[in-house]
Amino acid sequence: MIQIKQFSYEPGEHEAETASSSYLMSLIAIIVGLPLPIVNLIATLIFYLGNRKSTYFVRWHCTQALLSQLSMLFINSYGFWWTISIIFREETITSNYIAYIIAAIIFNLTEFIATIYTAIQTRKGIHVEWWFYGTLTNIICKSKS
Amino acid sequence: MKKIIIKGAITILLFFGTWFALTQIDWVKVFKVQKVTDKTEQKLGELFWEIFKKTEKENKNIHVVNSIESIVTQICKSNKIDRETIKIHVLNKDEINAFALPNGHLIVYSGLILNSDNQEELIGVICHEIAHIELNHVMKKLVKEIGLSVLISMTTGNGGSEIIKETAKILSSSAFDRSLEKEADIKAVDYLVSAKVNPEPFANFLYKPSNKEHDAIEYLTWISTHPDSKERAEYIIEYSKNKLTGYEPILSTETWEKLKIELNE
Repeated sequence: MIQIKQFSYEPGEHEAETASSSYLMSLIAIIVGLPLPIVNLIATLIFYLGNRKSTYFVRWHCTQALLSQLSMLFINSYGFWWTISIIFREETITSNYIAYIIAAIIFNLTEFIATIYTAIQTRKGIHVEWWFYGTLTNIICKSKS
Repeated sequence: MKKIIIKGAITILLFFGTWFALTQIDWVKVFKVQKVTDKTEQKLGELFWEIFKKTEKENKNIHVVNSIESIVTQICKSNKIDRETIKIHVLNKDEINAFALPNGHLIVYSGLILNSDNQEELIGVICHEIAHIELNHVMKKLVKEIGLSVLISMTTGNGGSEIIKETAKILSSSAFDRSLEKEADIKAVDYLVSAKVNPEPFANFLYKPSNKEHDAIEYLTWISTHPDSKERAEYIIEYSKNKLTGYEPILSTETWEKLKIELNE
């Protein structure tokens, strides 16, 4: 699922720190974002926008962090609104709902662990590419040189 | 590019696969959700019934009780409804009203029976209320009107008698959502047809102006709280078209007449 790859150049100390922060952004936001799934996305989006003009390594990791948050947004929003409709509307708790929440928790947890791991690795200047998201980032994020 | 689409599809499939695999387990049972809900409903049913029992007079006349019981039993039998789940009570009150409380308590006012021109009208209304019970509309309405937390606090004795009284009022004198009412109407027609009762008088009942004896419109609670009587009557007629004919009365004519005489006394 997660691959360590050789980046096109050796990132400097400062670059590694910023790239690592892009993942930490989503982690910090998790605390606030648990009940509101959009907060994580906004946090990583702001960080992404702030670093748009940064070096390739930083941009690359900001994009990967953003993309992973984007897909979690779909999963979490659906679960969020489902929960709201159970509390405030006539929906009732069904096995289907509980199964969805458990699936969402599993995916969130996987993403959470992967994020921590990647944050640590990128801090050391090691380039980490995720399954699917890494490939997608390679398409979106191109080196300027 | 092809590779990324495949990878993306696999990721999405993985999520739905996990979800699907997890739905194979009966989580409601695992987490005992049903048990908690059932217990809450049971307690609420008792709570509300106590209120009505205290404030209104229950009719215990053996003929009245037996006649109404046999109607309910017949409907339950022909529709495979567990008879034990419906607890019917007749209260002496002029209001033309019938309503369902949580946990299958069904209250019929004597005013409704006296103002029904024939037994089919009464059976229709009873079927409509049984449909609300069977479709779990009562708890849905309560959760919507006052919220789950208040409901649970009621059962633990923290509700306060005022709130309980107010909620009892909501249950007895306000209708459900339009969609829920329609659902109950359609279900009621199904029940009627299975029990070989003509659904047409039920539709007509919705049109009916107040009776000569009780001509004050305010007594017509059941109809006035259920809006769009005309529309309802129309779709009931429409839905019951081409359904089975060869209707049979549940109560004999003598029993029906005697029921009214007993109630008038």
